[in-house]
Amino acid sequence: MSLSTPKSDWRAGIERRLTRTREFVHDTDPEALGVVLVSMGSLLAAFVGFLLASPWTAVPLGTFLIGTGYGWARHQALVARAVTFAMTTVTLVTLGLIVVFIFAESIPAFRYETASAFGVSVPGLGMFAQARWDAVSEPVRYSLLPMIHGTVMVTTIATLVAAPLGVAAALFIAEIAPPRVRELVKPGIEILAGIPSIVYGFIGFTVINPWASDAFALNGGSTYLFVGMVVGLMALPTVVSVAEDALTSVPDVMKNGSLALGATDWQSMTSITLPAAFSGVSAAVLLGVGRAIGETMAATVMLAGVPRISEPLVNVFYGYETLTSLIARGYGSANGVHESALFAAGVVLFVTVLCLSVASQYIEARMRRRLGGAE
Amino acid sequence: MSRATQTALVRDDRTAYEAAAGLAVGLSGVAFAVGLAALLDVVSIDDPVAGVELPVAFGAVLLALGASVVAFGAVSRLDYVDTGPQPSAGLVAAAAFTAIWFAVGAAVSGALGLGTVGRFGVGAALAGVGFATTAFPREDVGSTVPAGVVAALCGLALLSGVVGPGWERPLAGYNATLFGDTVVPVVVLFASLVTGWSGAKAYGGFGARGRNVGAYVLIYLVVGSILAVLVGLVAFVTAKGLPGLFNGFGLGGASLLRWPFLTNGAGLLADIAGVFPALMGTIWLVVGAVLFAVPTGVGAAVFLSEYAEQGRFTGAVEVATNGLWSTPSIVFGLFGAAFLIPRFGNQKSLIAGMLTLGFMLLPLVLITSREAILAVPDEYRDASAALGVSKWQTIRSVVLPAAIPGVTTGVILGVGRIAGETAPILLTMGGGVLPAKSAAPNVMTGFRLSTSPPFVSNPALLEATSALPYQLYALITAGLSGNIQNPQEYAWGLALTLLLVVLVFYAVGIATRYYFRRKLHQ
Repeated sequence: MSLSTPKSDWRAGIERRLTRTREFVHDTDPEALGVVLVSMGSLLAAFVGFLLASPWTAVPLGTFLIGTGYGWARHQALVARAVTFAMTTVTLVTLGLIVVFIFAESIPAFRYETASAFGVSVPGLGMFAQARWDAVSEPVRYSLLPMIHGTVMVTTIATLVAAPLGVAAALFIAEIAPPRVRELVKPGIEILAGIPSIVYGFIGFTVINPWASDAFALNGGSTYLFVGMVVGLMALPTVVSVAEDALTSVPDVMKNGSLALGATDWQSMTSITLPAAFSGVSAAVLLGVGRAIGETMAATVMLAGVPRISEPLVNVFYGYETLTSLIARGYGSANGVHESALFAAGVVLFVTVLCLSVASQYIEARMRRRLGGAE
Repeated sequence: MSRATQTALVRDDRTAYEAAAGLAVGLSGVAFAVGLAALLDVVSIDDPVAGVELPVAFGAVLLALGASVVAFGAVSRLDYVDTGPQPSAGLVAAAAFTAIWFAVGAAVSGALGLGTVGRFGVGAALAGVGFATTAFPREDVGSTVPAGVVAALCGLALLSGVVGPGWERPLAGYNATLFGDTVVPVVVLFASLVTGWSGAKAYGGFGARGRNVGAYVLIYLVVGSILAVLVGLVAFVTAKGLPGLFNGFGLGGASLLRWPFLTNGAGLLADIAGVFPALMGTIWLVVGAVLFAVPTGVGAAVFLSEYAEQGRFTGAVEVATNGLWSTPSIVFGLFGAAFLIPRFGNQKSLIAGMLTLGFMLLPLVLITSREAILAVPDEYRDASAALGVSKWQTIRSVVLPAAIPGVTTGVILGVGRIAGETAPILLTMGGGVLPAKSAAPNVMTGFRLSTSPPFVSNPALLEATSALPYQLYALITAGLSGNIQNPQEYAWGLALTLLLVVLVFYAVGIATRYYFRRKLHQ
């Protein structure tokens, strides 16, 4: 066994799969098989037709509906299995389509902003090597640095708000609160997640911005400080619910052992529950950071909309533009390379948040393995 | 320790001490609440309280709190009361006070006119002192003296009028100015937090119990303020939006119910401008997104949890689902604009918005349905299989009915979330700022059959349509003005309508969950 190389393993796997398929085909009613093949094939054809924007897409789509309907009546089990499989692939296909389309649309901007480093010309380097974004007057440049700076400012402040408050609230719900209070606080925090971001933005625009302008004698009321606080409030429910899941997944035996030794609740929390759930809690914070990076409407409505880096760099009293608000504000009036540059901003956002999501999933999986829980 | 043999009965000598500490915590809480009210301009900072100005009263309270906190530490250190302090206050407290004292040093030396180097030097020196006094003495001194001195300093500053209502300080280079109106409440909030924590530790007699009490006070405060923000937000929007929402509302008369804000458009013909087209747009959006995402998500959840073997494929789907869940909404908007709009008549349209929101809803439905299906006990499946029922029959008549409560809750909460989304439909669906009633989508009667491809068409689906969140955004970008009587009132009414639509979804979703959970536990 130890002699088998990866290659022969791979070949054996294919062979095993082939044999299984052959057996499956042999065992199944040929008519059912035909119906499933027709319906899946027409679904694939409809998808390809839609991708090519063909007006004939309706034909395979109709075939799929009729075929599946007929199969549903006659061979429900097999058709159900095939259809649910097709539905499962939708998530993969969607993610793939998002990647392909957003990257494809952003290529012109990356090409336009080619700059050379050490004699090698790198497409897109110009977006990060200088700090001028001006789509109208010469020289037209599309640097993303001002917006990245804005996003970093907002996200940092939001994390400073959401992470400590979120973890404290999660501890409260998972460990401290008596059952009746928990039944009140938990839905309350869920509802906080439901308040639409544009409502936050509207309050920010009509109440907070004028107040800030007055209270700090600013030119205009857009501040990274208050946008960050509002975004932190929006990211808070994400942190709370994920961290609470992590805290409750720590087995009670561990906490009970600590309490039986005479430790106080707080000692058990800080020396047993929090360390055991540490990965889950940090995953929660990462997801909260992701939420804060992607938050759009409050930033769009409350920020000034001028792509500029604040002076000095940490000046939180003035807010200019983030990656998300740049897209929301500029899309529609932009075209050509400018529009493509907005897609480039989307690529930066998407890649960052996807990395955060994958990292937090990895951390969570590691925690589940370590706690030896289910799955 | 010897404390292990002591019971509450023999700690009688501490009751006066505990009462004093409890009083200090309570007073800190009151100072915190009044400080918050002053920050939010509920209480004016210039108002006199019992003959003295509010900042002076604050100063006196903070000074008293600081002195009493130091006294708690001293009394405990000199063994007048029986407490159980540990040798040191711990690294977390030491780090916190190092930072606090650094800030105090930097702020004070800045106020005295020192440069950056001077400020940094004084801050670092005081930070060292703060660290030493927290970390090295016994816990009862370490967690009271640095805290009490900070609060007393803040109190002195307010009491002596160094920082007061007329105080102002421009921040060089930042183009911003700090005024007494904001700084005084912030100082009070911060100092009362510190004394509250320290007093709570004294109340618990320091040591493990004291830390427990101190931490609980802070956590209760955090949760209380989160809930206060939530209630405050909803109450504020409700108070501002009610006049707009109920403008011209009436019962009885020619029609049984008149609610022009919900049944009118905003055109010239309407005497009272309403949000009917946007409301219809939101309803159709939700219907379209649900029709796309719910069957797909539930089907995928069934396949993943019932058919698929755990392997590379399910792992990839899981990663993709979580990735989609955390993808920013504006990226979905970009995707819809690049992928859907060219395929539906090259303009912003209702169906592009529906599908974009459907893509956003899909991961939510998939994750919650999968959890609900996995939560169905295996005994159900085994019992069904033992009766000779086929796998699909088991899924259809045993697993899915048992999972329906969880799926329903997940779908309702997910719908609540996408109903308020603005960014995706901003890029894919568009619509007018103040649409007239005729602009409301008319999907039901809009279907047309034809003999040329694509055979089925519906102009209502292919038109730019407004929705509640988009209309609010459009109103804001139009500077809250427009060809209607009272744009401000209209916008607040619109915000309240949107908030109510979303909150109703959430309330129904949460209520469903409780209903089913109670039924399950019966």
